[in-house]
Amino acid sequence: MSAAIDGELTPKEEEELVSHLAECPECRAEFQDAKNTKIIIRERIVRVQAPKTLLESIVRMTTVSS
Amino acid sequence: MKDKKQLLSPQEELKQKEFQQEAVAHINALYNYALHLTMNPDDAEDLVQETYLKAYKFFNSFERGTNCKAWLFKILKNNYINKFRKNAREPGKVDYDLIKDFYHTIKDVQSDTTEAESDFFHSLLHEEVYQALQSLPEEFREVIQLCDIEGFTYEEIANMVESPIGTVRSRLYRGRKLLRAKLEDYAKKRGYDTDSGE
Repeated sequence: MSAAIDGELTPKEEEELVSHLAECPECRAEFQDAKNTKIIIRERIVRVQAPKTLLESIVRMTTVSS
Repeated sequence: MKDKKQLLSPQEELKQKEFQQEAVAHINALYNYALHLTMNPDDAEDLVQETYLKAYKFFNSFERGTNCKAWLFKILKNNYINKFRKNAREPGKVDYDLIKDFYHTIKDVQSDTTEAESDFFHSLLHEEVYQALQSLPEEFREVIQLCDIEGFTYEEIANMVESPIGTVRSRLYRGRKLLRAKLEDYAKKRGYDTDSGE
């Protein structure tokens, strides 16, 4: 189930899953739940920019000959 | 005064150029991962800085053509374990005040998002989702972060957490189930009926 959501199934596995989901409402609901859970994590976890000073110091450290 | 660049060999110059292009480009992802691990901006900065220093030192061992971001994440994770393991919190224990403070620190920055479709998800706050994620046992939280937030493949995650792909798969499955239950609790507290709809 997780592998299907993450696009990690082989074409054959995917085919089997699609035909199973078509006839199994429980698995269909579970599949949708798992999918929504992935979406909410991706969308609601706040992403921040790295501080400019950090970027500058890393560029500096890896530019100057050591 | 001598120009420092003149001291560099052509190989070293090439290495620097490649490093800037390949590795430094991932600084935001690394910083976010470090923040989630340490929950502290100063520690996160230190961790990222040390990661880049180490990565630069060993850049020759980076296998060209593989995912540089995954390589950097692995270095960061190892650094984190060496540096902070002693003080690591126990699995399942969540310091809600720490999360509140953390969100207060970074609240100026909003993620640019499109919304999930269901009403139940609409009702959840960023902070609640983060608390739910942080409350998962580390082995589940880690794979969910690496997969859903950072977009690594199962193979890359397996390499990072040093476990077989099958283990990654089952941790993701179980982790998402646990997470879903926690998110439903938040939604219910807000008066949403999570059993209907969908």
